[in-house]
Amino acid sequence: MPINFAPPSIDYIRFLPEIILILAGTLLMVLDVVLRKQSRGIYGHLSILAMLGAMAAAVLAYSSPGPAFSGLLIIDGFATFFRVLVIGVGILTVLSSYRFLQREGVDSGEYHALLLFSIAGQCVMVSANELIMVFIGLEISSIATYVLTGYLRDDKRANEAALKYFLLGSFATAFFLYGVAVVYGLTGTTSLPAIRAALTQGPAAPPVFIGVAVALMFVGLGFKVSGAPFQIWAPDVYQGAPSPISAFLSTGPKAAAFAIFLRIFMTAFEPIARDWYPLVWASALLSMTIGNFAALTQSNVKRLLGYSSIAHAGYVLVALAARSNVGTASAMFYLAAYALMNIGAFAVIAHLSGKGERFLSVDDFSGLGVTQPGTAALLSIFLLSLIGVPLTGGFFGKFYIFKAALSSHLVWLTVLGLLNSAVAAYYYLRILVAMYMREPSEAALEVEPLSPSLRAALIIPALGTLFLGIFPSWLLDFAGKSSVFVR
Amino acid sequence: MNLLDVVIAIPLLGFVCLLLMPRSAEAAVRATALAFSLIAFLASLGLAVQYETIRPGYQFVTDIIWVTSPNIHYHVALDGLSLWLIILATLLTPICILVSWKSIQTRSKEFFAFLLLLEFGLVGVFAAQDLFLFYVFWEVSLVPMYFLIGIWGHERRIYAALKFFLYTFAASVLMLTAIIYVYNHAGTFNYPDILSQIASGKLAFNPSQQMLLFLAFFLAFAVKVPIFPLHTWLPDAHVEAPTAGSIMLASVMLKMGTYGLVRFCLPMFPGAARACAPWIVVLAIIGIVYGAAVAMVQPDMKKLVAYSSVSHLGFVVLGIFSFTQIGMDGAVYQMLNHGISTGALFVLVGFLYERRHSLAIADYGGVATVAPWLSTAFMITMLASIGLPTLNNFVGEFLVLQGSAQANFRWTVFASIGVILSACYMLWLYQRVFYGETPDEVRRHIFDLKPREWAAIVPLLAMMVWMGMYSQSFLPTVRRTTAHILEQTQMNVEIRVQAPAAPAVPTEVAHAH
Amino acid sequence: MQLWLIPVFPLLGFLLNGIFGRRCSKALVNTIAIGSVLLSFAWVLKTLLGLGDLNTAHTEQYFTWIQSGGLNIGWDFTVDRLTAIMLLVVTGVGSLIHIYSVGYMAHEGGYYRFFAYLNLFMFFMLTLVLAANYLVMFVGWEGVGLCSYLLIGFYFDKKFATNAGNKAFIVNRIGDFGFSLAIFLIVVNFGSLDFGVVFTSVAGHSQSSLTLIAFLLLVGACGKSAQIPLYVWLPDAMAGPTPVSALIHAATMVTAGVYMVARSSAIYLHAPAAMEAVAIVGLATAFFAATIGLAQNDIKKVFAYSTVSQLGYMFLGLGVGAFSAGIYHVVTHAFFKALLFLGAGSVIHALGGEQDVRNMGGLRKKIPWTFWTMMCAAVAIAGVPPFSGFYSKDAILSAADHHAPWMYWVGVITAGMTAFYVFRAMFLAFFGDYRGKAHPHESPVVMVAPLAVLAALSLGGGYFFKIPEFLAPIFPLAKEPDELGPVLVSVAFGFAGIALAWLFYIFRPGLPDQIAASFSSLYKLIYNKYFVDEIYNAVVVNPVIGGSREVLWKGVDVALIDGMVNGVGHRAVGIGKVLKRLQSGNIRSYAAWVLLGSVFLLFVMGVMGGLR
Repeated sequence: MPINFAPPSIDYIRFLPEIILILAGTLLMVLDVVLRKQSRGIYGHLSILAMLGAMAAAVLAYSSPGPAFSGLLIIDGFATFFRVLVIGVGILTVLSSYRFLQREGVDSGEYHALLLFSIAGQCVMVSANELIMVFIGLEISSIATYVLTGYLRDDKRANEAALKYFLLGSFATAFFLYGVAVVYGLTGTTSLPAIRAALTQGPAAPPVFIGVAVALMFVGLGFKVSGAPFQIWAPDVYQGAPSPISAFLSTGPKAAAFAIFLRIFMTAFEPIARDWYPLVWASALLSMTIGNFAALTQSNVKRLLGYSSIAHAGYVLVALAARSNVGTASAMFYLAAYALMNIGAFAVIAHLSGKGERFLSVDDFSGLGVTQPGTAALLSIFLLSLIGVPLTGGFFGKFYIFKAALSSHLVWLTVLGLLNSAVAAYYYLRILVAMYMREPSEAALEVEPLSPSLRAALIIPALGTLFLGIFPSWLLDFAGKSSVFVR
Repeated sequence: MNLLDVVIAIPLLGFVCLLLMPRSAEAAVRATALAFSLIAFLASLGLAVQYETIRPGYQFVTDIIWVTSPNIHYHVALDGLSLWLIILATLLTPICILVSWKSIQTRSKEFFAFLLLLEFGLVGVFAAQDLFLFYVFWEVSLVPMYFLIGIWGHERRIYAALKFFLYTFAASVLMLTAIIYVYNHAGTFNYPDILSQIASGKLAFNPSQQMLLFLAFFLAFAVKVPIFPLHTWLPDAHVEAPTAGSIMLASVMLKMGTYGLVRFCLPMFPGAARACAPWIVVLAIIGIVYGAAVAMVQPDMKKLVAYSSVSHLGFVVLGIFSFTQIGMDGAVYQMLNHGISTGALFVLVGFLYERRHSLAIADYGGVATVAPWLSTAFMITMLASIGLPTLNNFVGEFLVLQGSAQANFRWTVFASIGVILSACYMLWLYQRVFYGETPDEVRRHIFDLKPREWAAIVPLLAMMVWMGMYSQSFLPTVRRTTAHILEQTQMNVEIRVQAPAAPAVPTEVAHAH
Repeated sequence: MQLWLIPVFPLLGFLLNGIFGRRCSKALVNTIAIGSVLLSFAWVLKTLLGLGDLNTAHTEQYFTWIQSGGLNIGWDFTVDRLTAIMLLVVTGVGSLIHIYSVGYMAHEGGYYRFFAYLNLFMFFMLTLVLAANYLVMFVGWEGVGLCSYLLIGFYFDKKFATNAGNKAFIVNRIGDFGFSLAIFLIVVNFGSLDFGVVFTSVAGHSQSSLTLIAFLLLVGACGKSAQIPLYVWLPDAMAGPTPVSALIHAATMVTAGVYMVARSSAIYLHAPAAMEAVAIVGLATAFFAATIGLAQNDIKKVFAYSTVSQLGYMFLGLGVGAFSAGIYHVVTHAFFKALLFLGAGSVIHALGGEQDVRNMGGLRKKIPWTFWTMMCAAVAIAGVPPFSGFYSKDAILSAADHHAPWMYWVGVITAGMTAFYVFRAMFLAFFGDYRGKAHPHESPVVMVAPLAVLAALSLGGGYFFKIPEFLAPIFPLAKEPDELGPVLVSVAFGFAGIALAWLFYIFRPGLPDQIAASFSSLYKLIYNKYFVDEIYNAVVVNPVIGGSREVLWKGVDVALIDGMVNGVGHRAVGIGKVLKRLQSGNIRSYAAWVLLGSVFLLFVMGVMGGLR
C-alpha cells in the first residue's frame, strides 16, 4: 500500500495530547537551565497547565474518533478513557509532589519533564493499535519512570530500587519484544486487527508458537502490571521510590499497561481466548493471594501498599479472565477507582512520612485521628475503598469485576477473590486501628499542616472515590460503550 | 418521598450535621444527636400508626433508580416484619445516646455521629427491598460499629473490633457472591420481583445451585445471629464495646441475621432451607443449651449477657426453622423481645459499670441495699429475660416452643432445658450482684438511678410489660407477613387439631367484643 | 360478675405499696395491704353468692392475649365449685395471715416490701385458681413461684436465704419444664388450652398421648407441691419470714399442684397409669417426709416436712381417684398447718428468734394463747375425731383402702408418725421446763386473733364444710360407704403416735436418746434427711456447673472454637511470612523468578488445555 508521507491534519488533532506533553516537557528542561533557583515553584504550575491542556486535547480528539497515522494509533473511547485517566493521575501526582519536592529540596524541571514524558508515553500506549507503537510507548513511559524512581540521587534505597526496576523492566520488555517478533513471524503483521483477522482464519501456524507468543507477551505485560508471578519487583520499587512516584507508578503506568493488555488480548488474541484465559486465571489468583497474604505481615506502609497493588492487579486480571466486553468495562472502572484511592493513600504517606521519609511504619500513623482528624478521615475513605466497603469506588469496582467473572462462569475465581478481599481487609484495618485506636505517635504529633496543593491532592481523589461509590453508572456506561474493540 | 424515607434519611442527616459541628461543642453535639434520634423515633411511630394491618403486601414503597448499570434501585418498603424491627432500632438509638450522655467523654462528636450512622444502616437493612441495596446497608452498619468498639471500647477493644469486622466481612462477601449470582440469573436485584419470578418458575435453580446459594446467604446471617459454633466473636465484642455499642449490637444488629434468614433464605431457597432445617435446628438447640450453660459460669457480667444472647437467639432460629405459623410468629416476636430485654440488661449493666468501673461480678454484692430502684429495674428485666409470664419474652418463647412442638416434639423437649438454665444463670447473677452483704467499695460508689437514667430504662420496662400482657398490638401485623413468607416457602404446617375446632369459634367471637 | 376484680385488688395493693410504700407510714401500708386482700375476700363472697349453686362453670373472657396460627389464648377467668373453694381458702386464710403479719413483722426492715410481695402473691395465686385455660394458670403458677422466691429471700443480705430462694425457683423451674411441655402437647393434641374445650374433648384422644400429658403435668405438680423427687426446696424455704411459710409454703401455693391435678381430672381419668403414678409419688412422699420429720429439731423444719408429708396425702387422694378428698385435705390442711406455722411464728416471736425445740420447753404457762391454739391444730393434724384433719384424712385413707389396701396401711403408718412428730414438737416446746435464755412474752392480739380464728376452723372446719358433697357435681362421690374398721384403725394409729410422743418426751425424757443411740445409723440417716441434698449436689449441680466451666467454656469455646479462629489468622500470617521470603532483595534471584514464572506460564498453558 502506498505510504502517505503527509498525514491528514486530523491525525495531528488526534495526536495532540502527546504533542502538548512532549513540548511542555522539553520546555521545562530548557527552563531548568535558564531559571534561577528561587522561581522553580512554577515548574509544577506549568506541568499542571500542560496536562490540563493535554486532557482537553484528549477530549477534543475524541470529538473526531478514528485511526491516526494509517492505523498506527486508534482514537476511540477506550483510548480517551485511559488518556484522561493517566493525565489525571499525572496532575494528582504533581499536586502531591509540590510539598514533597520542597521538603526534600530537590525541585527541578527535570522531575516534571520526566513525568510529562512518561505520561506522553502512556498516552501513546493506550491509543496504540499496533504492536510496535505499543512497544515505543511502553519504552518512553518506562525509561522515564526508571529515572523518576531513582530521582532522589543520594537515597540508597531509591537508587537500588531504580536499578532493579530498570534491569527487570528491560528483561521483561525483552520478553514482550520476543512475543511481538514471534507474532509477526506467524502472522506477518503487527497491527492488532490484522493479527486478529489472521488468527480467526484458523491456524496460520502451529498453535504451539501462538501459545508461546501469547505467553511471551503475557510475561512482558504481566511484569508491567505487577501481576504474579512477575510481581517480584513491585514491593522493593514502591518502597524505594519517593512516595509521589510510588503513587504514580502504582496507578498511571499500571493503568496504561493494563490498557494495552486489554486491547491486545481482547482484540488480537480474542479469537483464541479459550486458550489463554487459564493463564490469566492462574495469574489472577496468584496475584491476589500472594499480594494479600504477603501484605499481612508488612509494617512498612509503602511496602504494604506495594503488595496491595499486586493484589489489586490480580482483581483486574480477574476481569480480563472474564474475557468479555463487560469484563473489559469493569477493568476500566476498577483502574479508575484504584488510581483515585491509591494516589490518595500515597499522598497521605508522603505528607506524614516527613523529611527523608522517616515515618513509614504502620505505628507512625498512630493517633493521626486525634492530631489531624481531617487527614485521617480522608485516608479512612481511601482505605475503606481499598477494602471494598460499599459507597466507595473500590466497592463498585470489585462488584463489577466479580459480576463480570460470574457471568463468565468463573464461580471459584470469584469466591476465592472475594475471600481474598476479606483477608485484605485485615491489613488495611491495621492502619485504621493505628490512626483511631492508639495513642498519638511522634510522627502524628509533629506532622505539619496540610499544604494547599496536598489538600487538593487528597480531596479530589476522596470526592472522586465517593462519587464513584454513589453514582458509578455514568463512568461505567462510558466504559461499557468504549470497551467494545471489535464491531 | 414517604414517611419511611424520612425515617431512613433523618439519621443520615444527623450524621452529617454532627460532622459539621465543632468538636469542642460537646453539649450541643449530644443535644443534636438526641434530637435527631428522637425525631427519627417519632417518625417511625408514625409508620406504626399509618401501617394498615389488613392490607397485604408491602407499604410505604419507594422505588427509584439508583444505578442504571447494573440495574440497582433505591427500593425500600415495609411489611409486618420490617416495621417493628425498624421501630426497635429507632427506639434504642435515643436510649443509647442517653446512656452515653456522661460515660462518653473523649471524642464524643465522632461517637454520636457513628451512632447515628449505625442507626441509618440498621433502618436501611430492615427496609431495603433491593438485594444490592440490602448488601450496601448491611456493610454500612458494619463500619460504625467497628469504630464504636475499637475507639471507645475497653482494654482488648482492638482485638474485639478486628474480630467482629473480619468475622462478619468474610461471611458477607460470600453473600455478595450469591447476590451477584442471583442477579445474573434473574436480571434484577428487585427482591419482590425475584420472588415472583421464582413463584412463576421463570427463575429456577437446580438443587445443587440452590443449596450453595442458600449456604452462602445462611453463613452470612449465621455469623450475625450468631448461630453456634460461629458465635465466638460476640462475647469479645460485647465485653469490649462501650455500653451503647453493646446495646445496639445485641438488640438490633443480631436481628439482622435472623431477619435475613426469614426474609431471604426461606422464600428464595425453600428447597435448600427445607433440606437443611434439621441440621440448623440441631445447631440452634445446641446454641440454646450451650449458651445458657456457658453463661452460667461467666465471671463477667457482659460476657454472661452475651452468652445469654446466644441462647435466646437460638430460640429465634428454632422458631424460624420449625416452619410453622406459630413458631415463625414466635421467632419474630422473640427478636423484638430480645431487643428490648437484653437492651435493658446492657443499659443496667452499663449503669453499674459507670458507678463501680468494673464488669466483674465478684466486685459487686448487696447493691440492692444501696440502690433499691436500680435493683428493682434489674429484677424486672431479669424476670423478662428468663421468660416470666406477663413479661415479653414469655410470649415469644412460648410461641417458638409451641411451634417447634408441632414440628417435632423432641426439639421442644431439648430446647426447654434452656429455659431452666436461663433461670439458673440469671438468678445466680442477681444474687451475687444485688444480694448479700454490701462491701464498702460498693457502698461508696453505687447510688440509685438518676433522672436521665430513669428516662433511659423506663420505656424499656414499659415495653416489657406491654408486650408481655397484650401481644395483640404487635402480633397481627407480624402474623400476616410470616404467613405470607410461609406461603412462599410452601411449608406451612397447619396446626394439627384433632378435637373439633367448633368451640374455638365462639371464643373468637367472645374475644372480638 | 367482674371476676377480674378479685385478683386486681391485691395487685393494686402491690403497686401502691411497691411504688410509694417506702415513703408511707406503717399504718398506711397496713391499710393498703390488708384492705386490698379483705376487699378481694369480700368480692369473692359477693361473687359466689351472686352466682348461685355454681353447678355449671361461670366463665368470663376479657381480651385475647396470644393469637397465632389457629391458636387463641385469652385472659379468661372461670369459677366453678372447685375454684370457689380455692378462692375462699386463699382469700380467707390469706386475710388472716396478712393481719397476723402486722404484728409479726412490726420490728422488721423492708416492711412495705414484705406486704407488697405478699399482695403480689395474692394476685398471682388468685389468677392461678381463676384461670380458665392452662396458660393463664401458668401465669399464676410462675407468678406465685416468683413471689415465693422473693419472700424466701426476703432477708436478702443473708446468703442462706437467697440460696434457698434460688433453690426454690430453680427446682420449680424444673417442675415447670414438665408443665410447659404438657401445655405444648395439649395444644398439639387439642388445638386449644381452654379448660372448656380440652376437658370436653378428652374422650376422642389416644390414651398414650393423654398419659404423656398427665405425666408431664405431674412433673409440674411435683415441683410446685414439693413431691418426691422435687420436694427439696420446701424445707429450705423456711428461711423466709414465718407468715410466708404459713401462707405460701403451707396453706396456698404448695397446694397449687393438687389443685392443678384435680382441675385436670378429666385427663387423668383417661390416663390410669398416670393416676397410679400420682398415688405412688404421693404415698412415698408422705411416708419419707414423715420419717424425716421425726428427727428434726427446728420447729419450722418439723412443720415443713409435715407439710411435704401432708401434701403427699393429698396426692394419694388424687391418685386413688378421690379428688374431692384431696381438695378436702387441702382445705383442712390450710387451716391447721397455717395455724401451726403461725403458732410457731408466735413462739419464735416470743423467744426473740429461737427456733430450736431443744431450747424451748414449758412455754405452756408463758404463752397460753399460742399453746392452746396450736394444740387445736395438733389434734386436728393428728386425725383426732371429730376435728377437721380426721375427716379429710379419713376420706383419703378409705379411698386408698378401696384402691389398694397396702397404700392404706402405709398411709395409716404415716398418720401415726404424723401424730408423733407433731406432738413431739408440742411437748418439747410447751411442756417440761424452759431450757432457753430469752424472756418469753405472749404475742400481741393482732397475732393471737388470727390464731384463734384458725383454731376454730381447725376444730370445726372438717365437720362444717362437707367439701366432698359440695364437689359432688364435679367429682362424683365414691359408691361404697366407708366401713368403720379402717377409720378406727387410722384413729388408733393417731392416738398411738400421740401416746408414744408423750411416753418419749414427757414420761421418759431419756428414752429418745437411747433409741437414737441404738439405731444410730438409721437415726443419722433420717436426721440428715437421707442426704438427698448432698446427693443432688454431687450428681446434678456440681457436674453441670463444672462441666459448663471446664468443658464447654474453657474447652469448647475458648480452646477449640476460638483456637481455630485465631489459628486461621496465624496461619494466614504464616503464609505471608513465607511469601515475604521470596523478596530476597537480590536482583539475580528476581531475574530467576521472572524466568521461572514464564516457564510456569508455559506449563499452565500446556496443562490447562491451552496448547492444542
